[in-house]
Amino acid sequence: MKLKREATKRQLIGMIVVLSLFVPASAFAGAALETVKGHVDKVLEVLRDPALKPAESAKKVKKDRIRAISEKMFDFVELSKRTLAQNWNRFSPEQQKEFIELYKSLLEDAYADKILTYSDEKIAFIKEVQLSEKTVEVQSTVFRKTVEIPIYYRVILMKDGVWRVYDVVIEGVSLISNYRAQFREILSNKPPESLLETLRKKVGKG
Amino acid sequence: MLREKLQKGKTMKAIHSFILAFVLALCPASLLADTSSITPNAEQSQDTETLTAPQMSPESGVATPADGMMSFHGSSPTAYTYVQDENAISLSAQHTDAEKKEAQEAEPVEGKDVNEEAEEEGPSIADPLAPFNRVMFHVNDKLYFWVLKPVAQAYSHIIPEDFRIVFSNAYDNLKSPARMLNNLLQLKLKAAGNELIRFIFNSIAGIGGLGDVAKDALGIKKQEADFGQTLGRYGIGHGFYIVLPLFGPSSLRDTVGLAGDRLMYPLTYISDVDLSLEASAVIFAHEKVNDTSFKIGDYESFKDAAVDPYVAMRDAFVQHRKKKIENID
Repeated sequence: MKLKREATKRQLIGMIVVLSLFVPASAFAGAALETVKGHVDKVLEVLRDPALKPAESAKKVKKDRIRAISEKMFDFVELSKRTLAQNWNRFSPEQQKEFIELYKSLLEDAYADKILTYSDEKIAFIKEVQLSEKTVEVQSTVFRKTVEIPIYYRVILMKDGVWRVYDVVIEGVSLISNYRAQFREILSNKPPESLLETLRKKVGKG
Repeated sequence: MLREKLQKGKTMKAIHSFILAFVLALCPASLLADTSSITPNAEQSQDTETLTAPQMSPESGVATPADGMMSFHGSSPTAYTYVQDENAISLSAQHTDAEKKEAQEAEPVEGKDVNEEAEEEGPSIADPLAPFNRVMFHVNDKLYFWVLKPVAQAYSHIIPEDFRIVFSNAYDNLKSPARMLNNLLQLKLKAAGNELIRFIFNSIAGIGGLGDVAKDALGIKKQEADFGQTLGRYGIGHGFYIVLPLFGPSSLRDTVGLAGDRLMYPLTYISDVDLSLEASAVIFAHEKVNDTSFKIGDYESFKDAAVDPYVAMRDAFVQHRKKKIENID
């Protein structure tokens, strides 16, 4: 009896703790922005780390670190689903799994190199705009030598109370929409397997 | 009479130069950025938006850069709402779709499949010239890797960055009248006024636009606007997709836009005697090379990231132009 009551009590406390973790995350305006900004700041730290100056040898270290940050920053499952949209259901669970992995490597390969060339760019986080109950757009601007590039991160509040990025919109161009257009073209007359094959080749090559 | 003759020669020049400038602008980094256009559904609702525009842009010009951005972004949600309401009928606005979908989505993660259909309705464009466009795409691709890039690389080794920025400012200043007129046509009076101030101030205090004094000292930022965008705001759709040699991705409407902007370009009105066709070709080539020198690597990474670069470019073009027409900036 006593044990049981104790257990119930513990459960209650546990629930309260979980709930209290939840509420601030969603209620606190700016949480999404702070989350994204935190990740981006970490990436910048890696890029500017003076200990990692010797270019070539440090490149791999930097890439690995950026990759580790991106794992925390992005929700690749959400990103994959939204990219494939309707076509997602045409993939078997195994194919979906493989797609997520391949797509992730594709994005990481493609953008890690690009990001490594950035270092002295200034980034300003402007504000966040609520898109829906669980999604927010965090708006930032990158200042380059002669131009300013608006980069918006679309983030979703996960079940665990963490904000994760599911789309990046650069100068009005949504990353997932852009890939959706490309994948749709392939999937319009070919089965999911050939898209996977294409991605395997692409990733293997990179 | 004289003027007519002048004009004709200029038109040729104009087209020539436009092409040059645009390719550069388009290919590399801002490949998603500079030219092109929007969805056919550049809907009429834009009119409503346009009307509100003058009131929206006010702050964006005068305030400090950061403030300006804030206020312009701040105003955009309102604008979006507008579009959304009116778009209930025409279903193009990507944002609208995204918002709709997301609104429905909110709940269970599993309920996603339903909503994604909405998301799938991103902007699109007719591409009846696909075979020609693909060829042009490859021509531009080679042009970049074989000519533009090596030249721009050599150029940036020789010319220090500060000088290249000065050139960039000067070329940009020449496009200020076109921006001003287009803002005016779009009823963005404040933006037009800011562009006017910028042009005068930068031309004088910035010595022919060598420095962007208006931005550095007065905090008045460039107010982007082009004629393709103006046409789009008045409800004219893309027509169809065209990849222009040198200029890169465009559409029927935006190609007309290019020509229109060309007519608003000061050098168009300098007589042949003072500025020969060759000279203006050189100027445009230089502008393109100078511009590219800041963007080396951008096109490469775009291409690297793409599974189908042609489709990726086309989609990016449409999305980018759509955004430009919808936005109140």
